[in-house]
Amino acid sequence: MKKETLFLDMHKAIVDGDRARAGELAAEAVRAGLDLVEVVAKGYVPGIQKVGELWEQGEYFLPELISSAEAMKAAMAVLEPELQRSHLRARTSGKVVIGTIEGDIHDIGKNLVASMLQAGGFEVFDLGTDVKLDKFIEKAEAVGADFICLSALLTTTMVNQKRFVALLKERKLRAKYKVLVGGAPASQKWADEIGADGYAENAVAAVKLAKSLAPGRS
Amino acid sequence: MNPSLLELVKQRTVLLDGAMGTELMARGLPQGTFPEEWNTERPEVIKEVHLNYFGAGSDVVSTNSFGGSRINLANHNLNGRTVELNLAAARLAREAAPPGKYVAGSIGPTGKFLKPLGEFTEAEFEEVFTEQARALADGGADVLLVETQYDLREALCALRGARRASGLPVFVTMTFNLTRRGYFTTMGDSVARSMKELEKEGAQAVGANCSLNSEQMTGLVKVMRPETGLPLIAQANAGKPVLSSGGQVTASQGLEDYVRFVPDLVKYGVNIIGGCCGTDPIYIKAIAQSVFGRKP
Repeated sequence: MKKETLFLDMHKAIVDGDRARAGELAAEAVRAGLDLVEVVAKGYVPGIQKVGELWEQGEYFLPELISSAEAMKAAMAVLEPELQRSHLRARTSGKVVIGTIEGDIHDIGKNLVASMLQAGGFEVFDLGTDVKLDKFIEKAEAVGADFICLSALLTTTMVNQKRFVALLKERKLRAKYKVLVGGAPASQKWADEIGADGYAENAVAAVKLAKSLAPGRS
Repeated sequence: MNPSLLELVKQRTVLLDGAMGTELMARGLPQGTFPEEWNTERPEVIKEVHLNYFGAGSDVVSTNSFGGSRINLANHNLNGRTVELNLAAARLAREAAPPGKYVAGSIGPTGKFLKPLGEFTEAEFEEVFTEQARALADGGADVLLVETQYDLREALCALRGARRASGLPVFVTMTFNLTRRGYFTTMGDSVARSMKELEKEGAQAVGANCSLNSEQMTGLVKVMRPETGLPLIAQANAGKPVLSSGGQVTASQGLEDYVRFVPDLVKYGVNIIGGCCGTDPIYIKAIAQSVFGRKP
């Protein structure tokens, strides 16, 4: 198959949220000995970008986003070991520690943001729900994170986002990480008030925000 | 004899209540304590909140059972107490209700997905909602309020479960976001489809809550009203939480601005009105004054 046709098929597999097909095409690229960095950049990444656009246009909703992010994961699961074997990296966007903040167990939004960030090329460490403030810092320090993303669905738990920023300052680590907040009650105003680095209203916006703040960019 | 809630809706605009969680926080609900636990641990506090809403003019208060499904309670290892906590929730509201006032048994979403996105089947969801609805009915609810639904399939499971559990009327509110193509739930359900399916499945009133502030809600109401002949419910948020200068969390849509849109909501066809996140008895009192004049 011609490379360009293959790229178009990859694009389509992601837009359709077709996991099986996305994985098959990745395996085909490996067998054909293609430049896998190019495969990711020209085949799969434009697909997930298109999905983001469709979402912004109100054509796609949460189920489609999840299916497409899953298809992206399936492709990357095939490609990443191969890339590592050749000491190459497809993911260069940055490292993210993410979780739903302590006291809160809601994870639908957080999971979606984690999936979309991963699909968008970030290395994501998802700590789950009801994550103690200390644990975010511990993990971020351990993996050398660039971003710490805090989710909260409740008015009653979003105050912990504020406590977290204060805790980072107290530990003299504030400048080391970009802190992003999200969740139904959060807003840009809230992020500004608590001194976070950013707020995103949804998973697609979160990827854009993180990319705009990613290391190496200013 | 008092008219049934459905009869009252035919006669005049009916007033619901506002937020519960923030009221409990203001009364010392500790971080990590699930609000439903207070139905048995601090029943006097739950009753006080209901009384305040009745005092503000609510015709109907909703029980402290939004997260009371077995699936939600399991997150807090309270699933073994599902019946007890829902029964208590309904009893407390019943005890607080003056004669002629009503109790709505609140049923929120499970927070989990149906297959294929999640692990649950529709039959499992329906079973879980039936259990919760039965306890709320046994505790003395007059109506079951399935609320804040972002997935029409789940809302229909809750509606079927609630109808299976009791003969009480069931009201359903969905939560919609405004996209470039109009209003949709998170899962992509349109207003038209939601209203039609809920009506077909036997809801006695339908509408929307949460997500939108009162100004945005007027836009949604205009779209919802032509899609159903049922009584229409609207419970708008008071914007988003913000930090006050004193470090307290307050609502971004102030009282005056919020209430400014109440006449429009009624004019565009809302029959059952109340508040959602960020609203409190003061907001409800102001809605009552706006709808009914000085004396609710």
